[in-house]
Amino acid sequence: MPDQHQPELKRSVTPWGSFSWGYSDVGADIFVGLGLVLGAAAGASNVAFLFAGIVYVCIGLAYTELAATYPVAGGGQYFVMRGLGDFLGFIAGWAVLLDFTIDVTLFAWSCVDYLSEVVPVLLNPIHPWVHFIAVFGLIAGLCLLNVLGVRESTTFNGVVSALDVISETSILFFGFLFAFRPELLVHTMTTQWPSTFNLMLGASYAIISFVGLESISQAAQETQRPASIIPRTSIALILTILIYALAYSNLALGMVPWHQVPLDAMGHAQTLWQWLGNNDNNGKAVALLAKDVPYFGALAALYVPILGAILLLISSNSGVFGSSRIAYAMANAKLLPSIFQRVHRRFRTPAISIIAFCAIAVVELIFAAWPSLDPGAAAFYAKFFHGEGGIGFLGDLYAFGAATSYSFVFLALIALRMNDPLSPRKFRIPLNIPLTYKGERVLFPVIGVLGFIGILSILVFTIITHDLGRIAGPAWLILGFIIFVIYRRNKGLPVFGSAPHDWRHEQIGILRDAGELELMDEYLARLKEREPARIAEVG
Amino acid sequence: MIAVNPIGALVAAAIVFAVVATLWWMLHPPISKVQEIARDAETELERMVGSIIVVFSENIASQHMMALAAKLAKGERSELLAIYVVSVPYSLPPDAEMTDEERRALDALGAAQAIAAKADISLRTETVKARSTKQAVLDIAKRERANLIVLGSFREGKYTGAPLSRTIEEIAAEAKCDVIIGVEGKHGNLLADQVGFEQIEQGEKAP
Repeated sequence: MPDQHQPELKRSVTPWGSFSWGYSDVGADIFVGLGLVLGAAAGASNVAFLFAGIVYVCIGLAYTELAATYPVAGGGQYFVMRGLGDFLGFIAGWAVLLDFTIDVTLFAWSCVDYLSEVVPVLLNPIHPWVHFIAVFGLIAGLCLLNVLGVRESTTFNGVVSALDVISETSILFFGFLFAFRPELLVHTMTTQWPSTFNLMLGASYAIISFVGLESISQAAQETQRPASIIPRTSIALILTILIYALAYSNLALGMVPWHQVPLDAMGHAQTLWQWLGNNDNNGKAVALLAKDVPYFGALAALYVPILGAILLLISSNSGVFGSSRIAYAMANAKLLPSIFQRVHRRFRTPAISIIAFCAIAVVELIFAAWPSLDPGAAAFYAKFFHGEGGIGFLGDLYAFGAATSYSFVFLALIALRMNDPLSPRKFRIPLNIPLTYKGERVLFPVIGVLGFIGILSILVFTIITHDLGRIAGPAWLILGFIIFVIYRRNKGLPVFGSAPHDWRHEQIGILRDAGELELMDEYLARLKEREPARIAEVG
Repeated sequence: MIAVNPIGALVAAAIVFAVVATLWWMLHPPISKVQEIARDAETELERMVGSIIVVFSENIASQHMMALAAKLAKGERSELLAIYVVSVPYSLPPDAEMTDEERRALDALGAAQAIAAKADISLRTETVKARSTKQAVLDIAKRERANLIVLGSFREGKYTGAPLSRTIEEIAAEAKCDVIIGVEGKHGNLLADQVGFEQIEQGEKAP
């Protein structure tokens, strides 16, 4: 909740603006995720996407309910802090921070991959140093722009999102119309079914195609009538992305390409999905697939790499300002040192946060690019990490961060249903069991439990299947834990307990500031019914 | 030659339909009670301000109301007409020359034109000679099929708390359209504007 003396964020984000905030983040994921999943899950890529998609629907519903009930900036970290306390709120926020820094590197990397379709000198397998310098340059450029306070506008996001929705729908429409063969899909699925290990690997990569719903919650404080608008934009985003992910994976497995698929490195013939999923192409699979759609591919070849690169760049940028924004919210909640709240005198931006998290993104880039830059490192990675590196390494960490924070969000959803039944929920996840808890009638969310099991299984898949992710992910959490312990001890705050919060008073302020006056009245009436003396004090 | 598979065509159509339907649903959320009130008020305003008449006379200084009407007209693309009613006493013939009064009309309507030009809207002006200001305003409102009459006001006793001018009250009571009257409140400053206007009328420089 904003401080009374600080200027409040203007509520200018419309339904399309809210959608495009999320879309510019999540929409870019399929550009990266498709190739990775095809490479890992082969003929079961659509099943991997379906499994991750079901989990994603549960995550989306949880975020929708929570963001509509608590429309404040902070997203998952705020929900977990409110539901489970400061310590777990910190862990969830720190995991989201990992995702945002990965967001910066992964999408900058993929942006350069897409650009390499029109500028061949950027091809990573041929010119790894040029590729590395280009990605580094993009990260440094975005860092500088954000320090200076230049951000893309909601209008720009809205236009790019609209163009991308039209583009992706067209690719899928013409792809299915002209090139889809159901018998080829069945054949691929039956003959190219992966091992269980690879299916788990594919499912853990598939979840990265659905990461970024957080952005809608992050913008909740700037959205008009958030309790009413956010459920719609979230559900629309969930459905749109799910349709795209399932359609792309089925199309890739069952499509007859317009052009001859090139031979592999050993000179053997390969299928379309194998070509899209190999290490050279998995960063730009959508552009290559679009190019192979009959007739439409001729046009798509011209603009899809550019449009994809723009969307990926926006997504990368959302990582830069998202990380500084969440670090600000965490510092405000006394979960991180106040240095992350410090605003540059001249530029009025959280310059220290921006530079710190961009520096972490550069470290991640170095780890990802190292094997392609140095043969010695390649041998080391091959020996200890199954040759994992590049976009695969970034995907590992992305999946780890997302699965960790989402797991806590499900727990927070359940905890808040039990402990805060009075807050009006404009949107409530269906399938609930009515219970009486602490004298209150509460609705226990069955989907919350199913979603938790689903995301936990993806977290387990990630830890089992990703050699680098299972080291780097927990290492990130341990680093955060050390920072948290030192900071809280210095401030005299409990490490595992929570600082005192007046959530009820805060909730009234949240609803009032959100312009959800009817919900505020409803909340006050419920409080009055139960605690007349308390409401007189709050009122 | 590319052959279209019926299942492929069906899936293609289903994808387009699903995406379009989802986005359409998203972009049409139900409106809140507050928004409903605002929408009704906007509709009412659109109806009100289709054609606006701003009234001036010897006693009715409406410059401040003219500025308000200009802003309304600009936002709602209304037709705007400023009239100055020269009241001709019964002791004179109806078309008698009223030199001083007509000069004041030129000033008032000139100022109205300047306000309109500044607001970048077009304005028609008209000077009317009539025995009764009230009747002249009502007749023109009828002729123009006006939706709104805008005018300043003055109090009979020239002091705060006195009743409004009878002419103003009769216009408001008998007009077939809506009327906005700029009335000075106890601590209002409409009279201050009026003083400025009187100074302009007297050929002095406004403060």
